[in-house]
Amino acid sequence: MKKKNMLLSVLLLLVFLTPMFAAGVKEADDPDKVGKNVNVYSIMPEKYATKIFAEFTKDTGITVNFVRLSSGEALARLIAEKANPQVDAIWGGPADTYEAGIPEGVFAQYSPKEADKIPAKFRSTENYWTGIGIIPLCFLSNNEYLKKKGLEVPTSWMDLTDPKYGQSLQMADVRTSGTATERIYSLVKIYGEQGAYEYQKNLHKNIQLYTKGGAGGAMPIATGQASAGVFYIVDALDIQQQGYDLSVSYPKEGVTYGIEGSGIVQGAKNLGAAKALMDWASSKRLGEVMVANKINYIPTRTDVVVTNPALDMSNVNLIEAQAEWKGDNRARFVEKWIEEVIQQ
Amino acid sequence: MSTTKVPRTRSSMAKREPVLFGTLVAIWLIFAIFIFLPIIRLLLTTFVVDGSISFANLIKIMGKSYNMRALYNSLILATAVAVAGTVLGYIFALAVTRTSLPPFYKGLLGAVTILPLISPPFTSSISLTLALGPNGMLLNALGISDFSIYGFLGTWISETLTYFPVAFMVITAVLNTMSANLDDAALSLGSSRWRMFRTITIPLSLPGIGNSLLLLFGASLADFATPLILGGHTFPVLPTEAYLMITGMFDLKGGASLSFLLLLPALLVFILQRVLIGKKSYVSVTGKNGAKSGFGKLPLSLNIIITAVCTFTVAFILYLYAIILWGSLVKVWGVNNTVTFEHFGYVFAHGKKAITDTLLIATLSTVIGSVLGVLIGYIAQRKNFFAKRIFEFGSMLNYALPGTVVGIAYIIAFNQKPILLTGTLSILVAAYVFRYYATGIRSVIASLAQIDPALEEASFSLGASTVRTFTHVTIPLIIPAVLAGMRYLFIHSMTAISATIFLVSVRWTLLTTRILESMTELQFSQASAFSIVLIVIVFIVDAIMLALMKWSTRKFTQQEAISYEKIGA
Repeated sequence: MKKKNMLLSVLLLLVFLTPMFAAGVKEADDPDKVGKNVNVYSIMPEKYATKIFAEFTKDTGITVNFVRLSSGEALARLIAEKANPQVDAIWGGPADTYEAGIPEGVFAQYSPKEADKIPAKFRSTENYWTGIGIIPLCFLSNNEYLKKKGLEVPTSWMDLTDPKYGQSLQMADVRTSGTATERIYSLVKIYGEQGAYEYQKNLHKNIQLYTKGGAGGAMPIATGQASAGVFYIVDALDIQQQGYDLSVSYPKEGVTYGIEGSGIVQGAKNLGAAKALMDWASSKRLGEVMVANKINYIPTRTDVVVTNPALDMSNVNLIEAQAEWKGDNRARFVEKWIEEVIQQ
Repeated sequence: MSTTKVPRTRSSMAKREPVLFGTLVAIWLIFAIFIFLPIIRLLLTTFVVDGSISFANLIKIMGKSYNMRALYNSLILATAVAVAGTVLGYIFALAVTRTSLPPFYKGLLGAVTILPLISPPFTSSISLTLALGPNGMLLNALGISDFSIYGFLGTWISETLTYFPVAFMVITAVLNTMSANLDDAALSLGSSRWRMFRTITIPLSLPGIGNSLLLLFGASLADFATPLILGGHTFPVLPTEAYLMITGMFDLKGGASLSFLLLLPALLVFILQRVLIGKKSYVSVTGKNGAKSGFGKLPLSLNIIITAVCTFTVAFILYLYAIILWGSLVKVWGVNNTVTFEHFGYVFAHGKKAITDTLLIATLSTVIGSVLGVLIGYIAQRKNFFAKRIFEFGSMLNYALPGTVVGIAYIIAFNQKPILLTGTLSILVAAYVFRYYATGIRSVIASLAQIDPALEEASFSLGASTVRTFTHVTIPLIIPAVLAGMRYLFIHSMTAISATIFLVSVRWTLLTTRILESMTELQFSQASAFSIVLIVIVFIVDAIMLALMKWSTRKFTQQEAISYEKIGA
């Protein structure tokens, strides 16, 4: 009996301890060899990443194992895992997230094969990340709701502060969402920093809820719980494509746009495969796959033909905002937003 | 690993009870690795600035009024949830154990109350939003406008609905183990039913009530999913703010400091619980007794209230889950109501790995967690040894901490040699075990508190060893409590997300993260289908455990009779 119990404690210990030693043994391969697998944190939504990676596997024979994470989580994890990186590459997510990660030393420099075919403003100046798609901000609104309240489809940032909306707007929380920080970048570029915060205090009066994810407000708007909000075009078009009665519009003052990045993690264990993914992403193939699957990022390769008229940017007032500028100001803008906008 | 040094005071125990001593050392070692090491690493991250100890991070956090409001809100919310959940749980427990309601109705109560518990908290939050949120279905049906669910009210309702089944489970276990003879005695001595209820039922269920208050307070204090969806910006709470700080602002130090503020109320509740229940002895002197004569009936007015409250709550929960079921079956939510099974097709095609991974992880966590839980509960309740308070508190530490922080702490601690665990199955299992075996420990302690130590002392004095007494006397007596703990462990290992959202890897993925993922990707139908699959799996396993629980209590009644004869002889 005594022995049995002793055995139990020892067994218990073993159950916990075995894997930690086992985990440290393997992984001694030459990292430059192109393996059959690549591990990825995808900031791009799973439904898009699944389709894109399936095509990549078809083209190269390399399987992508991935977990989808929000941009903040992905970066927090990369920093925490610096000593023992769990993934080889990051897929998607705003370029300013990559910029924030560079000083932390979590990204490796790599210039993909066809990087020179991508305009320089869609790439890291020091080759830490490469743009795979661009997404302007836009307004998404519920047509029925607007009709009920006697409102027009918003075409100016100022339209959203109309008291008729009366606490019915949903848009992303600046603390968690890249979509929301993009909103601030747009406003600061248009109204200047002070003007942007004055505007946001007014806007705050019409806010029903700040959602955690950038796309979080889209479903409530689709189902009529909320009237309108500010979104990345990719999220707005996606919900509209599902058949809801919604309008997508752009403000005449203009919008900034996000650059979806991709990059290799410093210390990647499958470096060869990660490089292959980056090379593939900089080729024309990626843009074609996105267009064919109705994944509404605007390809960074200008030679890809985009068929969706909603992605025709010729009538949209696009404002330039450098990723470095965004990365440098992000934390301060967020702090200020907490202090001045939501706490007023 | 520093605890392997053995203090001198234990050497006598090492000789007297070598098995206990060995088990204790093993458990300390496990604690050192999976509880203390991660927290110490996290505290180092918080309090060490440029190589020296500094409070700069904490001061910076506390200087912001928004954070202090979050602390205040957390405490208010946790108190409100603990009280409301315990009251509701007690009412349900009474309905099942003390009323003559038809067995079918009691079965319904048991089955329906499991629903909030076995679904990921954010799922019910979403259906609550669709029912009671702006333009919500229920509000529209009732013609109410200008009602906002975001803020305290919605969070409170949702958390109460999510956590009161815990209270229900814990209190039912305690109510069931009371001796019906006391009721008989009171009634036959001419006591009124109210007086019997007031002076026997309630005082004897105090360990259960206290236990439930503690568990619910802790659960609410650490829950981040519900306030994340329903709190809005007007009602910040600490775990959500810590989560946002870490995931949104990339500020690990800030998030760690915020969660440090959470430790203090958790500690306070723990001490309170010790003072309230630990000191007083609530022993049913007869040991445990099979309820041969049945419990005394409750007063009629109380019966009516119980039936009304239970019926309303059950109807509301069923309504909320009908929304989820409907969502999984329609083609496009709110637009195209054609019934289709295509979302389930998607789940089984693309979610198979998540399903098998989750099941494996939950099963391992349940088995390991229950064994540990029983050992720790038994040792903490029955034995005296060096640093017992630290032992007890340490065992609960991961549970008291917000899961987000545990997740980050685990990443920091287990991502470098010699303990390399990130990306493995073990790290997920360990996270679940040390977060969710708490109910097991608590129920074992509460259950043991009602069993007279004389039963075990009798076994000792008859020459049985610690081990034999433990396996032949203690275990059979506390089996219902152990199973209650197992149920909780399994359910949470299947549905919890706060800690493990940081620990899922490309090799091991979980159903809950897939659901949250579908939710943020606006795939409401797929999220609903995933939820339904998860709920069905947990429901089936849970039904098996419940059957086991019934079977074991029956077996225990016989066995008890035998052990009584033995003691009598």
